[in-house]
Amino acid sequence: MAELDEIIHQPLRLRIMAALHALPASTGLEFARLKKLTGATDGNLGAHIETLARAGYVAVDKAFVGKKPQTTVTATAAGRGAFARHVATLQEIIAGKQP
Amino acid sequence: MIDSQQASAALNDINDVVHRVRQSRIYQNASLIIVMWGALVFVGYLANYTWPPQGYTIWAVVDLIGIAGSIAIAAFSGIGPGAGAYALRLLVAFLLFIAFGIFCSAVLGHFGPRQMLVFWPLFTMLFYALAGLWFGYAFIVIALCSSALIVTAYFYAGPALLLWMAVVHGGALILGGLWMRRI
Repeated sequence: MAELDEIIHQPLRLRIMAALHALPASTGLEFARLKKLTGATDGNLGAHIETLARAGYVAVDKAFVGKKPQTTVTATAAGRGAFARHVATLQEIIAGKQP
Repeated sequence: MIDSQQASAALNDINDVVHRVRQSRIYQNASLIIVMWGALVFVGYLANYTWPPQGYTIWAVVDLIGIAGSIAIAAFSGIGPGAGAYALRLLVAFLLFIAFGIFCSAVLGHFGPRQMLVFWPLFTMLFYALAGLWFGYAFIVIALCSSALIVTAYFYAGPALLLWMAVVHGGALILGGLWMRRI
C-alpha cells in the first residue's frame, strides 16, 4: 500500500511542487512568480521551500540579475518522483483502492 | 491517512496550480512576441510617415522581421520538446493569416492606403480576441483596447493617421505586452 508523502502533503508545499512539476525538467520558477502562482506570502513560501530543499525535493539557486537578487526554485528528479507517487496515491484513495 | 474527499480536494488544488502555471507560461511567451510586434509596427508607421512612397516595402520588411522573430521566440521559448511543432504551427498560422488578409483587402475589397492602414491591425486584433477565448482574458483586453483606439484614429486622426497609429497601435501592443508579463 502506497503512503502519502508527509513532506509534500502540506497544502502550500503541495502547491509549490505542483507548480514546479508542471514545468519541463530543469526549468525553475523565480521566487516572486512562485509566490504569485501559489498565493503564498514571502515568509511562508521561504519556510516551505527550505523544508522541500532539506528533503532534496527542490534545488534553490540564488543569483544577482543586475543589482537585484533573484532566487530560482527547481524541482529535482527526486522531487518529481516523490510528487508523481504522491499524486498516484491520491488517485488510489479516490478510486477506493486504499482505506 | 486521508479520506477520498480530502484526496479529491488535494487533486483539485494541484489542477488549479497546473492551470495557473500553463497560463503564466503562455503569457510570458506571448508577451515577448507582442512587445516585439509593438516596437516593429511603431518603427514601421514612423518610417511610412517619413517615406510614404516606400510603404509597401516598409511593411513587407516589418512583417518578415516580425514573423521570423515570432517563430524564433516560439522555438526557443523553453516549452520543451513540443517547441519545434509549436513554431511550425505558428508559421502556418501567419501564412494563412496573410493570405486571407491579402485576399480580403486587395482582391475582394480593393482597399485604399488609408483603409489598408487600419485593416491589418484590426484583422490582427480579431485573432488576439479569438486567442483570448482559449488562452486567457489578457488577449481580449489588448484586442478591445487596441481596436477601439485604431477605429478612433481612422475616423478622427486625419492626415496624422500614421503618427496616431504609431502611438495607439504600436504603443498599445508594447504596453499590453508588458502588462501581460505582470499578470
